[in-house]
Amino acid sequence: MKSKQNNSNFLMGMLALSVSFPIIVVCSAWFFPGTELWGHFAENLLPELISSTLLLLVGVGIGVSILGTVLAYLVVMVEFPGRSWLEWALFLPFAIPAYVLAFVYLGVFDYSGYAQVWLREYTGMPGFDIRAGSWAIILTFTLVFYPYVYMMARASFKRQKIQMIEAGKMLGAKPFEVFWRISVPLARPAIAAGLLVTLMETLADFGVVSLFNYSTFTTAIYSAWGDFRSIEVAAQLASILVLIAFFLIYFEKKARGKAKYYSSDVSHVRPYEANGLIGWLLFVLVFGVFMLSFAMPMLQLIIWSLEKYGEELSVMYSGYFSATGILTVTATILTVAVATLLALPSRRKAESKTLQMLIRFSTLGYALPGSVMAVGLLYGVQNISLVSIYLGGQSINHILFGSVALLLFAYISRFMAIAYNSTSASSEQIKPVYEQSARLLGSSRIRLIREVYLPMMTPGILAGGLLVAVDVMKELPATYLLRPFGWDTLAIRVFELSSEGLYDRAAIPALMMVFIGAIIMLLFIKLDSDKY
Amino acid sequence: MTRKISILSLLLISTFSVSISSAVIAASDENLTVYSTRKEHLIKPLFDAFTAKTGIKVAYLTGKGGALIERIKLEGKRTKADIFMTVDAGNLWYASTQNLFQAADSELIESNIPSHLRDPDGLWTGLSVRARTIIYSTERVDPNELSTYQDLANAKWEGRLCLRTSKKVYTKSLVSSLIYHDGIEKTTEVVKGWVKNLAATPHAEDVHIMTSILAGQCDVGIVNSYYFGRLQAEDPNVPLKLFWANQDSSGTHVNISGAGIVKHSSSPSEALELLEFLSSIEAQKIYVGLNKEYPASQKLKADNLIAVWGDFNQDKMNLSVAGEKQAESVSLMQREGYK
Repeated sequence: MKSKQNNSNFLMGMLALSVSFPIIVVCSAWFFPGTELWGHFAENLLPELISSTLLLLVGVGIGVSILGTVLAYLVVMVEFPGRSWLEWALFLPFAIPAYVLAFVYLGVFDYSGYAQVWLREYTGMPGFDIRAGSWAIILTFTLVFYPYVYMMARASFKRQKIQMIEAGKMLGAKPFEVFWRISVPLARPAIAAGLLVTLMETLADFGVVSLFNYSTFTTAIYSAWGDFRSIEVAAQLASILVLIAFFLIYFEKKARGKAKYYSSDVSHVRPYEANGLIGWLLFVLVFGVFMLSFAMPMLQLIIWSLEKYGEELSVMYSGYFSATGILTVTATILTVAVATLLALPSRRKAESKTLQMLIRFSTLGYALPGSVMAVGLLYGVQNISLVSIYLGGQSINHILFGSVALLLFAYISRFMAIAYNSTSASSEQIKPVYEQSARLLGSSRIRLIREVYLPMMTPGILAGGLLVAVDVMKELPATYLLRPFGWDTLAIRVFELSSEGLYDRAAIPALMMVFIGAIIMLLFIKLDSDKY
Repeated sequence: MTRKISILSLLLISTFSVSISSAVIAASDENLTVYSTRKEHLIKPLFDAFTAKTGIKVAYLTGKGGALIERIKLEGKRTKADIFMTVDAGNLWYASTQNLFQAADSELIESNIPSHLRDPDGLWTGLSVRARTIIYSTERVDPNELSTYQDLANAKWEGRLCLRTSKKVYTKSLVSSLIYHDGIEKTTEVVKGWVKNLAATPHAEDVHIMTSILAGQCDVGIVNSYYFGRLQAEDPNVPLKLFWANQDSSGTHVNISGAGIVKHSSSPSEALELLEFLSSIEAQKIYVGLNKEYPASQKLKADNLIAVWGDFNQDKMNLSVAGEKQAESVSLMQREGYK
């Protein structure tokens, strides 16, 4: 028994280590010094970059926590007009790439956009540059990423025992007190998990900050690489992002608290009902968020595409669809499989702090800018080739570069964080008593996994799968560099057109991405509602 | 149960497709392969024309400059790339310093493309030209007030200037050319003045500069000629005009898209054929028609563009300088807070 457990720890450790491969390559850049450039950066760029990055993280963190949690609470706990379809509609902004939302917002709300033009005409208000300062980009990231927190918090609220809330009500607690003192603390782990993923993605973002010309840490990374041609300093800077993400994970663990929140009941009854004026007020609020984060951008994309679909649509699109489809499906299955394996409850795993650290380390790929990670992966393969040649063998570069296998590996490495967050949140809710009972009844570990753990982890697996699928579909830099010839995805098409200023043409592949995202969503809804 | 079966079958499909993909890659060895940072819709018509003329098929991989260069480097001797194509002389120069190119010895290219648009050692050649020059509002600016890039630092333009971000390579090359002509101290003063005169955060896109001017947020800006060409094609009455900067001094700054033969190319002679084709009048016409760029070839005059915008004196600085001075110009801009 003991050696079997040790084996499984070792295997899991190896799995986590291999997923961490690109991260390790990037961090190993510290073996190459790059002093002069650091001096220039430290003097001219880093102070401002660090403060603007921190400001962004704090602002976005607060924004998505509040917005995601409040929306999730309303949708689960309060009956109000429109609740049933808004509950699902609030997931939809997921399907739009962040930088597409950003350029729609800029197009509508910046000095020359419809909103300000109208304001200038009818109120005489002077125009302003929304890219100045940080409030607009914080708002944009909040509207783009709140679905992460929304999704996690919603799942958590759904699992809260109705009895606790009823007890609170009976003891005279006002609705807000019940929210703040009962529901939110219980949902803390889920909110923290959603927040963590949001902050990591914000750190790694390149598209939105470019459009707003908001300088963050990633600015220095790309400058070191592109201007000063020092890929070593670029990797060193990127590894600092990894460090920041590590701290975020640490804080998230603290936020989860030591208590384990076991819950197996699911309630269908909503404890609160909002009728009349308050009900409609809530509707306006929630619908407003949906409008801003999804409906309005969609409308703009549709308007643009109506103008240009003749010009843009071609036979190439069947290729874009199949490339997007194959990559999304396979990457999702593989990533979720790995994340599930690593999240399976195990006594030995719980006892090994090293293994847990290793698993957590393997999720850090999410915080790395995509280009950096992709190039890091290439360098890693090159190092393997060098070792292979040294040992008398051959280089493997030409086999792996441009192969689907390497690209899939990049996806797994990149998106482990979201899949694992979801699957581990699920597995942490499994009471130890199940394993103990199964052991007592003489069940093998495999049977335990198949018949107890996996079914109980299914919500987390599904949620993880949904998130990974949509993220893979939207992924750009790693796909761009590592894809096989002719495997252009819809996301690449959107990028190539929009980076040439052809936004209206770019709206067409963007709409198709939203369409696919909506299908993935519907799949998730169908599977999810089977459970509840 | 059915769910488990479908998951299993999806897993099988995935392993299947992985193995297919290796076969697909092997098959593409017969073509010429181009790695390009120019987007697909801008290069495909050229390659189609080449294939129609010579029968040689062209496979291509588009990507972002820095990453693609790293990939070719790491692919080493077994790279599939025959030609590396990119935009901006800075990128071409950098690729040449990374030993990505082999010298192309071609009298045809040398007679087609003027020397300041080619690498002095023949490692790369420019194929199309874009001018980066001043654009202004015809409603609020008298062209007599305009003269040079440096003049835009003058206090009279305070709050009226819109510029591209310093992070875009077009800006870096422009500032490199200023350093080349005026030296670093004078250029520092110019950049300082520009930053003071900005009406808005530097823009991420030239297109946004034009919409800002139209909306009245600023009155002048600096853009690539072809962006204006596209706008003008959609709206011939748009109240914007190009002004050819520095006509009485160094000439208007131009930049290129270009290409070179990859050092470890497996088909260098066919690659040379493609390069020569791209420098020929037939291909140069496609460049002009597709994206409203100027031809690099001195044998073709972009009559239609000249008719509308007028002829202008180009800056004859060899464009490899744009690459050589890039680190310097970026350091300058970062020091002076030009975002």
